[in-house]
Amino acid sequence: MINLFVSNLKMLVRNRQQLFWSLAFPLIFTVIFGFFFGSGSSSAGTVALVKQSNSNVANTLSDGITQTDLFKVKTYATEDEARTQLKKNQVTAIVVIPTLFGEQSANGTTTVNIISNPSNAQSNSIINGFISQYLTQINYQIQNAKPIYSTSTENSSSGSFSYFDFVLVGLIGMALMNSSIQGVSITMSKYREDQILKRLTTTPLKPWKFIVSEVAARLLVNVIQISLILGIGILGFHAKVGSAIPIIMLLSLLGAILFQLIGFSVAASVKTADAAEGMSTAVAIPMMFLAGVFFPIDQLPKWLFSIIQYLPLAPLLRLMRGAALESTSIFENPINIAIVSGWIVVLLIYSSMRFRLTEE
Amino acid sequence: METVISVKNLEKKYGAFTAVNNISFEVQKGEIFGLLGENGAGKTTTLEMIEGLRKPTSGEITILGMNAEKEKDKIKVKIGVQLQSSAYYAFLTLKEILQLFGQFYPTHQDPMQLLESVNLKEKANSYIGKLSGGQRQRFSIVASLINDPDIVFLDEPTTGLDPRARRKLWDLITEIKKQGKTIVLTTHYLEEAEMLCDHIAIMENGSIIAKDKTHKLIEMAKTPFKLNFFAPKITGAEVAELGKIAPVHELVGKSHYYEMGIQTQKDLDTAITLLQAGSPESFTVGRASLEDVFIELTGKKLQEDEGKDD
Repeated sequence: MINLFVSNLKMLVRNRQQLFWSLAFPLIFTVIFGFFFGSGSSSAGTVALVKQSNSNVANTLSDGITQTDLFKVKTYATEDEARTQLKKNQVTAIVVIPTLFGEQSANGTTTVNIISNPSNAQSNSIINGFISQYLTQINYQIQNAKPIYSTSTENSSSGSFSYFDFVLVGLIGMALMNSSIQGVSITMSKYREDQILKRLTTTPLKPWKFIVSEVAARLLVNVIQISLILGIGILGFHAKVGSAIPIIMLLSLLGAILFQLIGFSVAASVKTADAAEGMSTAVAIPMMFLAGVFFPIDQLPKWLFSIIQYLPLAPLLRLMRGAALESTSIFENPINIAIVSGWIVVLLIYSSMRFRLTEE
Repeated sequence: METVISVKNLEKKYGAFTAVNNISFEVQKGEIFGLLGENGAGKTTTLEMIEGLRKPTSGEITILGMNAEKEKDKIKVKIGVQLQSSAYYAFLTLKEILQLFGQFYPTHQDPMQLLESVNLKEKANSYIGKLSGGQRQRFSIVASLINDPDIVFLDEPTTGLDPRARRKLWDLITEIKKQGKTIVLTTHYLEEAEMLCDHIAIMENGSIIAKDKTHKLIEMAKTPFKLNFFAPKITGAEVAELGKIAPVHELVGKSHYYEMGIQTQKDLDTAITLLQAGSPESFTVGRASLEDVFIELTGKKLQEDEGKDD
């Protein structure tokens, strides 16, 4: 059986196309999301700062703008220069602190100009909000007033996590799902088409040994896959999921088994490798969006959520995110474990009844 | 003679369809036994039931004294199977495939030696996709020998090959026979069956319509002698005179080519004498072939290219 396991590993590594989908594809996604949302990149983009005043107020404001990590700041000497950059889409907005801004003299100005591109609505509101809030603070200080009403915010989770942390866990789920469902269903259907399964049954090899070595070789590839995604996410983009690596791994393997079972079920239900590819895409793509890889699904309409929360990937992602982002025990919401186990049992029964190495 | 395979009243039904209909035959040790018939005649289904790949609806199969159903695992060690148009793993080399399959058995032959025996040694580190059709088929056959089996099953081993590659495979199959192994093969090539097989069972619509030693089957022909002649100057009256002995067929396509199937030596002599009066440009006397018997038995010809599409 070890021989078969090693042979399976060899074949997994030599099959460039599958290797791309199981390793390169999720890594490309991780890097793209890392650049957009990882630490060091700011969701509001880059602001061009044109500071033409040297007053105290102007200095405080420009320090405040430079120090925030809401957006990146580039300084330009003239407004024209900055406008050129805006046209080229190199910056999302320009903040002009005009000459004489904050000067304690009769001709001193009190207005900061923000020039922005209307297509970046979200960035604009972040930049606008930040600067007007900053100016309000300065106003209070100058007038020696204290705000009476204020807001207080509390994060629902104990740790603070970014969208990148959220999506990184989603990408792990996506990688597991795609490589396992597609990999198993296409490989098994191809083996059947090529009569390899039938040829194996003419040998004394026990079918369970064949299945176990196939599953085990794929699980090993999954471990490498998840390690690479986590490695790039944590080392490259400062994802804050480090403390939960063991539990993420464990849940990943559980998920991989679940998705491989879907793969075997697909292979049992279709006749050709082409059909297997079509069917596994039809299963995986909707699940990728509906089970919460990229965005939280509890924001969806209630009726829709009440259905899709039972998709195999959804409870798995809830378990992983609970452990990775909120440090909650996976047993806190036993319903999630129940759904995952339920799927595994159902698929195991279906595939062991329907998946055959030969036709009668 | 030692019987190594015994099939009794074997039947396979798929719903209302009967794929194999109550057939019985025996295979002797060391011979080449051929199942001959068209596609869909039930050859492969029969073979796969013997190999343990399909469950018979009824009937009994005994292989090397063991019950095919109850002692499946023991039998698998003793047999080698080459499946029809079987491919092997695409991402393992020939050597690796043989090594892997060898591990499934308690004992196995040396992969390199096997590859050398079919002139594939230099392809040992290639993937199967890099082989020609003939090479692939040779590999497929040699892979069925990995466990040094007593009985080898070959399902349409030469289908789709060009005549030269086919002849090479015949040599290989003969070599395997010389090693003392029993070979059961299916084919829809009459020439192949006539050339290779000691015993032949002709199948049609799931039934065996004839089975015997190959030469005895050919002797079954109603007209064991064949007279072919090319006679542009022959008159209608002379043809009519010949037709009194046996029907004269003008061959399709070519002009003035005729063929007669003749039952007895005496009739043949008479026909030749008569024919010479018609001053033929050429004439040949031949004997019946398996094809003649096949056509007499089934009323139809086997098409050469039929096997390529299945």
